[in-house]
Amino acid sequence: MAQDVINAATLGSLYLLFALGMSLAWGTIGILNFAHGSIFMFSAFVCHLIVREAALPMPVAVLIGLVVGAVISVLVQVLAFEPIQRRAADHRRAELQILVGGIGMAGVLLAIAQRVTKSVPFGFSESTFRVHVYDLGFVRLSNVQIVIVVAACLLAGLAGWWLRSSRSGLALRAIGVDPEVATMMGVDRRKLAVAIMAASGGLAGVAGVLLTYYLGSIAAESGDAFLLKAFAAIVLGGVGSVGGAAVGAAILAVVETIVLVQTSGTWVDAVSFGLIFLMLLVRPRGIFGRKEVRRT
Amino acid sequence: MSYWYDAHLILIQSTFVSLLLALSIQFPLRMGVFSFAGIGSYGIGAYAAAIMTIRYSWPAFAAIGAGMVVAMVAGYLLALLVSRLDGLYLGMATIAFTLILTVVAINGGSLTGGAQGLYGAISTLQTGQVILVCAVVVVLLALSERGRMGRRIDAVREDPELAVSVGIRVIRMRRMAFVVSGALGACAGGMNALLRTTVSPDDVGFSLVVLALTMIIVGGSRSWAGALIGSVIFTWLPQVLQAVGDWQTVVYGVIVALTAVYVPSGLLGVAQNGYRRMRRRSGPVAGATEKATGSEEPGGDSAPLEPLSEDVPTGGTR
Repeated sequence: MAQDVINAATLGSLYLLFALGMSLAWGTIGILNFAHGSIFMFSAFVCHLIVREAALPMPVAVLIGLVVGAVISVLVQVLAFEPIQRRAADHRRAELQILVGGIGMAGVLLAIAQRVTKSVPFGFSESTFRVHVYDLGFVRLSNVQIVIVVAACLLAGLAGWWLRSSRSGLALRAIGVDPEVATMMGVDRRKLAVAIMAASGGLAGVAGVLLTYYLGSIAAESGDAFLLKAFAAIVLGGVGSVGGAAVGAAILAVVETIVLVQTSGTWVDAVSFGLIFLMLLVRPRGIFGRKEVRRT
Repeated sequence: MSYWYDAHLILIQSTFVSLLLALSIQFPLRMGVFSFAGIGSYGIGAYAAAIMTIRYSWPAFAAIGAGMVVAMVAGYLLALLVSRLDGLYLGMATIAFTLILTVVAINGGSLTGGAQGLYGAISTLQTGQVILVCAVVVVLLALSERGRMGRRIDAVREDPELAVSVGIRVIRMRRMAFVVSGALGACAGGMNALLRTTVSPDDVGFSLVVLALTMIIVGGSRSWAGALIGSVIFTWLPQVLQAVGDWQTVVYGVIVALTAVYVPSGLLGVAQNGYRRMRRRSGPVAGATEKATGSEEPGGDSAPLEPLSEDVPTGGTR
């Protein structure tokens, strides 16, 4: 039982790190980034390539993941999403095009990683970091799990503070409510969009590297599965809310763990989709979501 | 010709199946309903056709028809359930619906064959029959893009409130979109299952959602012709890209991204724009064309890029 709680906490923290950036980008600048899963995977992949050449300690690897994720995310924003938003005639068409643009970018990243790794799972076996499992009698706890939970709490707290208390965070929330008026009030939309995408990609990169340490190795295709879980977490908690993403990720992880323990395990995937579906029916804006301000 | 036909039979069959699949997403999209339930219906149709053929040895069209009926009922019930949702939220809910069906198929025991799926659904379905069905569907959809029906659908998409105020039953039209989408998707799935004689849970998943969406956006989302262009391109592209060898999938992704970014109205839109520019250059009727387009589309603002296809020639000949 206690072991299940620990595992659920680790899983929930990974979901949170991954979903947070996606949720913030969607809630503020209105971009649902389908390339997020690939950015997550590709950061871990680049990190794997570097660690293969030089034995690096874990903090450096996590930092590499953060930087790579942020850089790719900004590239996707500048190369794909910005031109789409500039050219699109109306909001609904822009949404669709952004989905497909993200899919295309995700395809490129996935294809590169698959080609280089020949679709064999990759990991950080050359890193100087060694997994330690502490046996506390009633539970077994590894140092990776501690790092994951701490990192998720720290980064989510930081993101929450940024949005709530800083001037740029206020500007970002203003864009989320009404981009035109925000621009008139002197908010630089372009710069802030790049900033939020960098933060979002950085979080994905950290999540990717930590997941690889946790599981030992990941496959190039693991991004897509995470993308769908992140939707569930975001929809559960409410788009654009840090607390919502945290609660959504926690609920998802706990319910998945319960289903995994109680049944044969083949129904686990239905949990996230079922939760999305139920939540959208009962309360489409999520637990913490504000009433949606729809632009016409 | 005949040799070429035999050598590429599977690709030709896939083209028509993908066309129906793309249309099952494109039809609701024309009404502003962002639903991926057509992909789930594809799964329903594929499994229903395979089960009917293997267990009860029904003839091909009866088996496909059974799947279509089930999918239409499922589509109607889903439409009732998700009637409050709109935009991306509706898209997510319908993706969730599709993926739940996949998990159900994996856990379906001997009825759905679990993770391995079903084998040996051998039937008499001919490629010619598939093409015939597609032709009928395309003619019906092309008719729905013209005249009263076409204008109604455009009104529902561009401005639902306005559509209600002029007496269009928007809610009924949206439900109809789900039912038609279910029928088209199930037809595609049933035919694919019988042509390939197998179906497995892997056939219906997130990648199929992505493929169908890509086909429509790259081809052009306003007309059946866009879905046709998309399905031809994405069925044959992997074959063509074999020339670039290892980098095939990378080039594929780049093409998708570039089209989404720089060709917002899809290839169909590019073709239509080019056609209009040609007409405009050849005669002094440019003003008439613009006027006709502007007055037909309630949403005005996007008119210069995406005119309703049939209005252009009419305006030009005036």
